[in-house]
Amino acid sequence: MTTTLIVDDDELFRTMLEAMLHKEGHQVLNAINGTQALALLETESPDLIMTDILMPDGDGIELISALNQQQRDIPIIAMSGGRRSISLEFNLESATLMGVKATLPKPFTRDNLRQALADALQP
Amino acid sequence: MPEAPVQADAAPPDSIAARYARLLHRAVLSDDPLVVETALAEAAELGREMMRAEIPLEEVSEVHHEALVDLAQAHPQLTLPSIAHRVTAPLMEAYMAYSLSFREQLEHRTSVILNARIDQIRRLESIGTLAAGVAHEFNNILGSIIGFSELLTDEVDQTSPGGQYLQHILQASFRARDLTARLLTFARDMPEVREPVDVVPVAAETLELLRATLPVGIRLVLEPLVPQAWVMADASQIQQIIMNLCINAADAIQVRDGRIQVGIETRVESTPTEWLGEHWTEPPNDPPKTQVRLSVSDNGEGMTMETRARIFDPFFTTKAPGKGTGLGLSVIHGLVTSMGGTISLDSTPGLGTRFSIDLPALTGTFEPGALDENAREAPGPATKDDEP
Repeated sequence: MTTTLIVDDDELFRTMLEAMLHKEGHQVLNAINGTQALALLETESPDLIMTDILMPDGDGIELISALNQQQRDIPIIAMSGGRRSISLEFNLESATLMGVKATLPKPFTRDNLRQALADALQP
Repeated sequence: MPEAPVQADAAPPDSIAARYARLLHRAVLSDDPLVVETALAEAAELGREMMRAEIPLEEVSEVHHEALVDLAQAHPQLTLPSIAHRVTAPLMEAYMAYSLSFREQLEHRTSVILNARIDQIRRLESIGTLAAGVAHEFNNILGSIIGFSELLTDEVDQTSPGGQYLQHILQASFRARDLTARLLTFARDMPEVREPVDVVPVAAETLELLRATLPVGIRLVLEPLVPQAWVMADASQIQQIIMNLCINAADAIQVRDGRIQVGIETRVESTPTEWLGEHWTEPPNDPPKTQVRLSVSDNGEGMTMETRARIFDPFFTTKAPGKGTGLGLSVIHGLVTSMGGTISLDSTPGLGTRFSIDLPALTGTFEPGALDENAREAPGPATKDDEP
């Protein structure tokens, strides 16, 4: 069974994504920011991480950066409600440059999610 | 000593011309150094007054000439040399005060215009920020609405009224999603014109603008190490980048005397793609590339590691409420990235900060008709590979 770590500061969104992932047959771990995710990853080894980008106290870019530095080879799907215009900052394009397996612009449909899961988990 | 009579057809006695004539008479006719000194001071005040009255310089000369004629007529016994050496002083005094006031007024007007321009840049920035920020939040909320609605479709019979209502919720949510997409496009679509731009004169002009608006205690220095530095860019964006970085630097310097140094150099990029602390450099293309490095250094308060980690995040700011949107650096990051460049920073708490922006260089010169023969081989302005 695939274990997926969801990292998002929006509780409602986490609840929704967790329900969707359960339906896709995943086991789910939750963290509310990058800092908490890194703490969790000291003891857990999920098969996939789905992280939001903009979060207070440890955003997605910091999380991806830390995992790259630790050479933790866990596939990552980056999610964000922001686009290029907010741009201006670290966004999904930055995440792609940093080597995430897939990106999911919010809001996404279940079909979008399934596609991203397939992209991220392909061997 | 009797006051010399003033011509009958001269201006009213309290006019500038009449007052100048009287003080010229006093300066010429008196042997008392104190009287002469007072006359000089009065001449300086008259000069400032003429400036405030917006009297053109030619008319100032005219006032002087008429007073001289008046003096000669009233005192035919005076020889020209004796007048000449004494009237020069009040005239110079008036001229100097005149030109000093003129400069002050010019500087004042310039700074008003510049402040308005900087305000406008900030306003434009905040409109885009607002649109982008609202759209971003809506996307997050819509993420939950659409997700839960889709989950609910599994629980509800699609042919039942509840199933139909659910489809309506989804349709409405997709409309909202398209609306936020348009809002984000609006926030992004500021018109821009990319063309070969020499960063050196753009930086010089921008610093000229900034000097009038930054606190007097801050020295703003341009140190170009190259005579020209061409990049493909929208000049106003280069200007916005320099302005934003310098304003940030000035804010970091706060009250103590400071120095902001804007450097321009070219360098050949040889390093592979790498992590620079928290920032990712662009992956290099095959041959080593010449980069134009624009740097802004200050001797301000510097940044902690925590601040550095978040410095490019939108809405992140260390400034007091109302002092900054927190978008300046994320806007710069976006601009630089869209030009194919990278931005990095070095900062030491207590010592200062240096932002370095590397933009792909266009080598060669771009004066009209000055393209060399390599330019004909390749489209676009890249003309030669050697560094200038």
